Amino acid sequence: MTAMDRQQRMASCLGVGLLLASLVLLLLGASVGSTGFETVFKVWSDPLAQQIVWDIRLPRTVGAWSAGALLGLAGAVAQGLFRNPLADPYLLGSASGAALGVALALGFFGVSPLATEWLVRLGLTGAAFAGAVGAVLLTLALAKGVQHTLRLLLAGVIVGVVLGAFASLAMLMVPEVTQAMQAFMLGSTSFVGWSACALMAGIWLVCMGLAWMLSHALDGLSLGEATAASLGLPLPMMRVALVAVLALATGAAVAQTGLIAFVGLAAPHLVRSVAKTTHGRLIFLSSLMGGVLLMAADMLARWLIAPQELPVGVLTAVLGGGYLLWLMHRNSHPSAAQRS
Amino acid sequence: MKKSCPRLLLCLAAVSCLASAAQAWQIADDRGVWVTFSQPPQRIVSLLPSLTETVCELGQCQRLVGVDRYSNFPDSVRNLPQVGGGLDPNIEAIVALQPDLVLMATSSRVAEQLHSLGLKVMALEPKNHADVRRILEKIAQVLEVPDAQRVWRVIDAAVSAAAQSLPASTKKTRVYFEVNGAPYAAGESSFIGETLTRLGVRNIVPVSLGPFPKINPEFVVRANPDVIMVGDRNYSGLQGRPGWAGIRAIKERRVCVFTPAQSDVVVRPGPRMAQGARIMAQCLLDQAL
Amino acid sequence: MPSIAVSAHAISASLGNIEVLHGIDLTLPAGCWTSIVGPNGAGKSTLLKVLAGLLPHTGTVTLLDQPLATLPRRVRARQLAWLGQNEATGDDLTVWDIVMLGRLPHQLWLAAPSAADSAAVARALRATQAWDWRGRTLGQLSAGERQCVLLARALAVQAQVLLMDEPLANLDPPHQADWLAVVQALVSSGKTVVSVLHEISFALHADQMVIMAQGRITHQGACADPLTHRALEQVFDQRIVIQALGEQWVALPCVVKASQAPPSVGTGMDCLLPPP
Repeated sequence: MTAMDRQQRMASCLGVGLLLASLVLLLLGASVGSTGFETVFKVWSDPLAQQIVWDIRLPRTVGAWSAGALLGLAGAVAQGLFRNPLADPYLLGSASGAALGVALALGFFGVSPLATEWLVRLGLTGAAFAGAVGAVLLTLALAKGVQHTLRLLLAGVIVGVVLGAFASLAMLMVPEVTQAMQAFMLGSTSFVGWSACALMAGIWLVCMGLAWMLSHALDGLSLGEATAASLGLPLPMMRVALVAVLALATGAAVAQTGLIAFVGLAAPHLVRSVAKTTHGRLIFLSSLMGGVLLMAADMLARWLIAPQELPVGVLTAVLGGGYLLWLMHRNSHPSAAQRS
Repeated sequence: MKKSCPRLLLCLAAVSCLASAAQAWQIADDRGVWVTFSQPPQRIVSLLPSLTETVCELGQCQRLVGVDRYSNFPDSVRNLPQVGGGLDPNIEAIVALQPDLVLMATSSRVAEQLHSLGLKVMALEPKNHADVRRILEKIAQVLEVPDAQRVWRVIDAAVSAAAQSLPASTKKTRVYFEVNGAPYAAGESSFIGETLTRLGVRNIVPVSLGPFPKINPEFVVRANPDVIMVGDRNYSGLQGRPGWAGIRAIKERRVCVFTPAQSDVVVRPGPRMAQGARIMAQCLLDQAL
Repeated sequence: MPSIAVSAHAISASLGNIEVLHGIDLTLPAGCWTSIVGPNGAGKSTLLKVLAGLLPHTGTVTLLDQPLATLPRRVRARQLAWLGQNEATGDDLTVWDIVMLGRLPHQLWLAAPSAADSAAVARALRATQAWDWRGRTLGQLSAGERQCVLLARALAVQAQVLLMDEPLANLDPPHQADWLAVVQALVSSGKTVVSVLHEISFALHADQMVIMAQGRITHQGACADPLTHRALEQVFDQRIVIQALGEQWVALPCVVKASQAPPSVGTGMDCLLPPP
């Protein structure tokens, strides 16, 4: 069997493995919570247990998978678009935009009845989504389009820093929202219900379809911008579409679960360490990997100090940071395959 | 006769020295730092709303020359110059007011800076009912206000009165107090939890979880409280939360939403705790079966 | 079959605020290998990018008798292949996948590679001796091997015109000789090759040479023509001398003894040369 076939088999194995892991974690996630395993056994007899498992635990677990899948997808797209292995989905300022949206929404609750009514209808999720997408649009405006990748990156950093500063200012002016803001910024699947899952799944399908159609562009970009243009790829249009995918996927994930670190950064790296494939398969596998990562972290967050909860973002940072440390350690002792 | 005069003068001088020495006293604040006073402070800057209210409760509002931006009771303090927040005070503004005492929370980091500028700083932070009493008496000692115990007895009696105003049927009510939407709950060991205990109702969050735990929402569903109390600022539509529609308090619409003014009173561990108890008691009466 | 592969008229281009090319007129014959040479900063790479349609410019470029500006992107991609320098970052793709990217202009959107695509990729890999590495990833190869793979990618396009910018960078002499063989095979099959080269001796193997200095073309002519040799020596300030070595022409750097005065213009006879 040639080396290429081996890579393809590795990719397929990884895909199947991740799907199986998702199923296992789904079952485990349904069993973990403030009450423990016995709730699952009582599902048929006790209506309260049924409600807890069906209305709370299952949607949280499925929601964690969906959010992780969206972040993994966005991470793979970001790393391909910016040709930088350190890129993550929040590069274009979407994280700070979402934080500002939530801070403003929390701050305006209770200020006036009209404001409160509108805010309840919009919801914190709507505010976070609007903030994330708004920040990306601001970045595009600042960079005057998607022509120059470096300018886009720089504009994204600027927007992220400035909006983040405004969010911190809002927290200082209205200290009652500080704790809720911190909970949002560290991430949690607390109130993810079935409607949120359906929304995230729908957006995942759209983004995955778009990204898969644009995977050739990402492959071509890895050869260099001049070469990609010479191959006949419509780069500006593809870049706009990829940025749109990035904004949509990140906004949807952040709106439901808050700012979860490392999943978007680590998922593509984890996939690449097992199987080297083109972007078409990489984006899909990265999405599956992100889903599994976040499901596992969410389960741990709910289980470690039950009935209290840890913020999911803390666990993903610890797990993701640990993985990156191990990766660095492995690369500092290069294998024989690496030649100068 | 002529020989006893100088001896008498010496005795008088000795007695007056002792008398003036006895007038200087030292008090330890919550950090364990001893602060010395030779006379009661007349110009006070307060950087914590509950301490502002304590000073005014002792009838010494006129001694306040500056407060933080979050102190809003009584109304007279709103006319005082504001010197920033508790965590980010304006040092220059404080020094410009020339206070002889600055009251602040223990979690503030500016104590060292103010002390090095020559100001007297006391860090006090009431976190539960016992703290409110202790700090009331401590500030009374500093300000040389007599009979602080009487002030406390009035407050305490008012809390008991609020508890007695509730019929016996409310004693079995199980309450969930949500501090913010993360969700953070007020446990039994928090200030709010203690007030609820004094009112005789049960808190679904036990002591073992600490004062302000970040709980799993399904815990609330399983505990099935009869009444939910939440501040207006954090009321973001409880019905929409997955699985919460079946909670008794939500099915029967027994949710108390406090206005920001009411939240201030209920949440702040200060001398208005009786009013806070009355607010919560009113909520329980309104939502009674 | 047109006799002119690429022609350019009144080309001016700027990089940033600096004008790099000043009013260039150029005609490149088809079925030939043309090398573009000149001192550093002459604008050779910029000119090549303009001819490939990769840089904004004033003036017109024509590819195979059609104006480049109006040509649809994919048609242009099928007729013109580009090989740049130091661009690729896709360390995680396998060699096969990289070379298969060269077939993008021929593949339908989202279609899987066809048998013709696989055959073209295999042929390109064998031509550059990269067939044995087809399962390895780009990051596992040395710099010279990477260059071979990228050349194979350009060959896989099977375009009529190939534009190559510094294609010999990182290649050791045997691979440079292999590259020469590949180019000569391409030209004998009727393709047009245009290359920017720093290695003058290799450039002299081409059919035509275009000499540039400071954003203008100073000479264009056959590589075997003595006028071209003199123009070459002149554009390098007489620091090189062109000598015949058997059937080839080689460019040697002009090494002057320390005590001697610098050589005067036009003679080239003061350089220390090995005996013929």
